[in-house]
Amino acid sequence: MTQEATAVQPFVMDTAFWTATIIFLLAYAVIVSEKIHKTIIALFGAGLMLVLKILEQHEAFHLEELGVDWNVIFLLISMMVIINLMRPTGVFEYIAIKSAKFGKGDPFRILVIFAIVTAVLSALLDNVTTVLLIVPVTILIAEALEVDSLPYLISCALASNIGGTATLIGDPPNIMIASKAQLDFMDFIYNLAPIVVVMMIFYIFAIKLIWGKKLKTREELKQRIMSMNENEAIKDPVMLTKSLVVLGIVLTGFVLHGTLHFQPATIALFGAGLLLLLSKTDEPHHILAEVEWPTIFFFIGLFIIIGGVVKVGLIKWMSTKVLEITQGDLFATSMVVMWFSAFASAFIDNIPYVATMNPLIIDMAKQLWPNVSGIQLLQHPDLMPLWWSLALGACLGGNGTAIGASANVIVVGMSEKAGKKISFMKFMLYGMPMMIMTVVIATIYVWLRYYVLKM
Amino acid sequence: MKAKDLMIPLQEYLKPDTSLKEAANILRTAKRDEERFGVKGLPVIDEKGTMVGFLSIGDILKAVFPSYMSLMNLGDFTWDGMVEDMAKKAGNKKVSEMMTKKVISVPEDAPLMECVDHMIKNNVKRLPVISKDGKITGILYERDVFFAITRAMLDENAGGGK
Repeated sequence: MTQEATAVQPFVMDTAFWTATIIFLLAYAVIVSEKIHKTIIALFGAGLMLVLKILEQHEAFHLEELGVDWNVIFLLISMMVIINLMRPTGVFEYIAIKSAKFGKGDPFRILVIFAIVTAVLSALLDNVTTVLLIVPVTILIAEALEVDSLPYLISCALASNIGGTATLIGDPPNIMIASKAQLDFMDFIYNLAPIVVVMMIFYIFAIKLIWGKKLKTREELKQRIMSMNENEAIKDPVMLTKSLVVLGIVLTGFVLHGTLHFQPATIALFGAGLLLLLSKTDEPHHILAEVEWPTIFFFIGLFIIIGGVVKVGLIKWMSTKVLEITQGDLFATSMVVMWFSAFASAFIDNIPYVATMNPLIIDMAKQLWPNVSGIQLLQHPDLMPLWWSLALGACLGGNGTAIGASANVIVVGMSEKAGKKISFMKFMLYGMPMMIMTVVIATIYVWLRYYVLKM
Repeated sequence: MKAKDLMIPLQEYLKPDTSLKEAANILRTAKRDEERFGVKGLPVIDEKGTMVGFLSIGDILKAVFPSYMSLMNLGDFTWDGMVEDMAKKAGNKKVSEMMTKKVISVPEDAPLMECVDHMIKNNVKRLPVISKDGKITGILYERDVFFAITRAMLDENAGGGK
């Protein structure tokens, strides 16, 4: 077999192939088993890929096709820095208390308002940050009203996963898909946000059915909520103004980044730098230390592991198999991708899952349209529904179980600390039906919009 | 001066499975010197006689403070009677759940400066004193160290090497 000039080697099941495949499978198995922290495994696996020369260091660090996706890394870091600078201003406490008062102290109204606020915040921030900001307040409100906090906790996780699906920055799978497929912020707004709004409407009807009648409180307890003064939450109005201006610039930048030819990470990095400057802090190490470095290094490690299996051809082999199963029918492929992604993401972390699926879909496209390349290939009109199906499946699938999304893990952990343990089965009892409901809506949407109406 | 010269010999202690309710009451009424003034903390000792932790008033405060409150600035959004409600719930927790498990202690023959070092670096006001066979024999209080220091300051004849 002749050597090709491309970075991806011709497909041979040689030693390198099997070594890379074994590292990949073992790493994923240990990540799923949770025996060792996932970040450690990802970094160790990445180290093995490099040391065993499956991937050269320059390929891992500098090649877009095989290496670390710095666009994802810097987008995540920058958004975390912006949020870390905003948190002490008290704006998130303000929003939460204001929402509770807007609900007039009525337990079910508050549940609905919190679901909407969580969904919107999740669309703009990452889901973990959102639930970390919302859950403490929801428990406080439930205590004040002397109602069961369980509906608020579970709804917070579910709504954040639905809301996060709507935008490029809402959920890590979308950030990764956008970067690989070179999609911009508005592509996500046009293609995913409308159906997420529909899902939220269905979601609110569903929680009305489940919890509507159960949540009752006494009039005098409502007064506890109504007498809270949300303005007291604002600790630093000057910094708040600066933060809102920078956030405004960043969001405008996201809306325009496709037109202006900026990568999302450029916009976010600029915003983080600007807000750091405006904050006049001389101790940036505090703000920077609060970045979730384990998550960031998990991504870095995963990208390198995936780079290894892409290079040896495992992903290409897998994509061939998927096409064989669906016989090249793209509607069938979309549906398989969406439903498989949903159930896979319900049980394993959707980040490694999407990291694997991205190159798989690109390889699939290469086989379907061998004469097309670059952005014409990545955004081939017939390929687009596949990207949306992957995004919808991977994000919404997170709702299926307590371990399906990082947001769920955080909610379960926090509620256990608060003395309100949510078991795996209890979460699934609510999460799985919600997941299936939203994925059914997504299925109808993808079929109708991209295959019937072809919009 | 050594730790054992200034310590107050152990009189009362708590057991790990005592409820917080009972423990708080013991803290409230415990002997301090000869009179009953209440104490700010007591060691927790298991059935084998080993010290397994220390329960202080601060731990009781933490027991009524909900974990979610420490995650955000929610102090402005509480209501009258909240502490009392939480106290009722916390009363049935066990001492072992709330006690400080990593206890800074000193051996009986620890020099006084070593004790001061522990108090300053770990920000503790009480140091359990442990005998050679590993049993707790007394507690060294910040107050008594302070008295020793003031005696040295006021008494010009007092020497350190005694």
